[in-house]
Amino acid sequence: MKAHARAGVSGIAWAIVPAALLFVLFFALPFGVMAALSLLSGNPVSNPNVAFTTRNYARLIDSDLYFDALIATLRIGVVTTALALLIGYPLAHWMARMRSRLGHALLLMAVIAPMLTGIVVRTFAWMTLLADRGVINTTLTWLGFIDKPLPLMYGEFGVVIGLVHIYVPFMVLTLVGVIGRIDPALEEAARNLGAGRLRTFLEVTLPLSLPGILAGSLLVFALAISAYVTPVLLGGGNVLTLPMLIYQQVSASFNLGFAGALGVVLLAVSLMLVVAYNAILGRLSGERRLA
Amino acid sequence: MSARLDPGRLAYYAFNGAIVFFLLLPIAIIAVFALNPTPYIAFPPVGVSLRWFVKFFSSADFMNSLWLSLRVAVVVVVLATVIGALAALAIARGNLPGARLLTAVFLSPLMLPAILTGLALFQVFMLAGIGRPLWGLVVGHTLLAVPYVLRTTLAVLHDFDRRIEEAAAVLGAPPARVFREVTLPLIRPGVMAGGIFAFIVSFDQFPISLFLVVPNGETLPVVLFNYIRFALALAVVFAFERLIGLRAYVRL
Repeated sequence: MKAHARAGVSGIAWAIVPAALLFVLFFALPFGVMAALSLLSGNPVSNPNVAFTTRNYARLIDSDLYFDALIATLRIGVVTTALALLIGYPLAHWMARMRSRLGHALLLMAVIAPMLTGIVVRTFAWMTLLADRGVINTTLTWLGFIDKPLPLMYGEFGVVIGLVHIYVPFMVLTLVGVIGRIDPALEEAARNLGAGRLRTFLEVTLPLSLPGILAGSLLVFALAISAYVTPVLLGGGNVLTLPMLIYQQVSASFNLGFAGALGVVLLAVSLMLVVAYNAILGRLSGERRLA
Repeated sequence: MSARLDPGRLAYYAFNGAIVFFLLLPIAIIAVFALNPTPYIAFPPVGVSLRWFVKFFSSADFMNSLWLSLRVAVVVVVLATVIGALAALAIARGNLPGARLLTAVFLSPLMLPAILTGLALFQVFMLAGIGRPLWGLVVGHTLLAVPYVLRTTLAVLHDFDRRIEEAAAVLGAPPARVFREVTLPLIRPGVMAGGIFAFIVSFDQFPISLFLVVPNGETLPVVLFNYIRFALALAVVFAFERLIGLRAYVRL
């Protein structure tokens, strides 16, 4: 890299053009338009005398409904990410340390199989499991543990369960690569020097897999706060998140300006958290290196 | 490195076993219900029947949307693999200034809420007065598929011994031939893995499709979603009576 960097831009650099065009025209420009629309009083194409306004944002702050939706979205995102990490890490660790190729392949299949089943279908599967007369409640009643069905569905609990199931494969696949690259000799060295299994994990494996934890968590958080299908179906009207509000504004009210404002807020929040999370974890690994 | 089962090890395997169970349970459930002949959720299942599969494959709504989803996914795979692989080559080999930043930008559709990409594209198409064309849907899916191809191809390119290419060049192969006979075969696994991801991303794409499909031109996930939501409205009687199509979809 260092030797070639001075050689100047080579001909193959032109291969970036299709991707650059795609991103400028259909990614950067649309997001700019979204931000612009959120600050205008109307449609600038059909209405020549639109004015600059902040009323879309004022509406968002003034209303408890919209503010609560923002908080609920973030809460669901954080809880989903934490749970996905909690159950994704052990599985990724097992996969990365699996010596048998067959065992590794079987585990990989178990992780990828849910990804190959559509999001809508998986959410439906959770509905059949969590519903009042679903599999879990029927079984528990039959076993005599409960008299009336547990309220598993139609609330944040059901939404989080569904989201964790949908996004945990992303966490696992991100972590497997990182954990797999940690040299087992480092762990063995720690063990030989007298560290217990837990201490070896906490002081060797875990810090070395921080980049994977960071990448996987960011991915899952981003996916969870933008989920639409699962909160609608498993929330059953009791859960309101920003993506649901955004689609409502477009489909029912056709208020592109307010939808844009909601979009900008969701965008800003996710960007802010991404940066903050990065900084915290960066400092953590820095301290470890100094210690 | 003995395989003795102390309590810690046992807990490790038990926890992991529970996680695998959690991952696979819903899929097993779908398979069970897809074969269950009753039109509502009956647990334990009462028998085995293929009637829901017959219903699915004879429903014009489902078949049309399935066909549309497949066509869109194939076009997206082609576009995303070409654009993504080219961009990966340019980033890894082009000595571009700010290659790191470029990679981050091209991966950003994965990090930013996809529903916002759908909304932003929808707003632009509305302002430009072009409505919701099919190519708009394809472009939206491609935006989300390119990062996967870029990532898998870049991963292969980074592990790649450049001396192999240099050797081919030294032995007199012109750059085009080096590319065709050395570079391309070596990056092919990465590109193909990305292509498979691209297909899944497009075939299962919901948030972008939600904004960009037209009535009667919906992709399969959108049709299924509307079907379930419609069913929820009728939940008073038999909550899942209308969900037959889904049972067959799991087989696809």
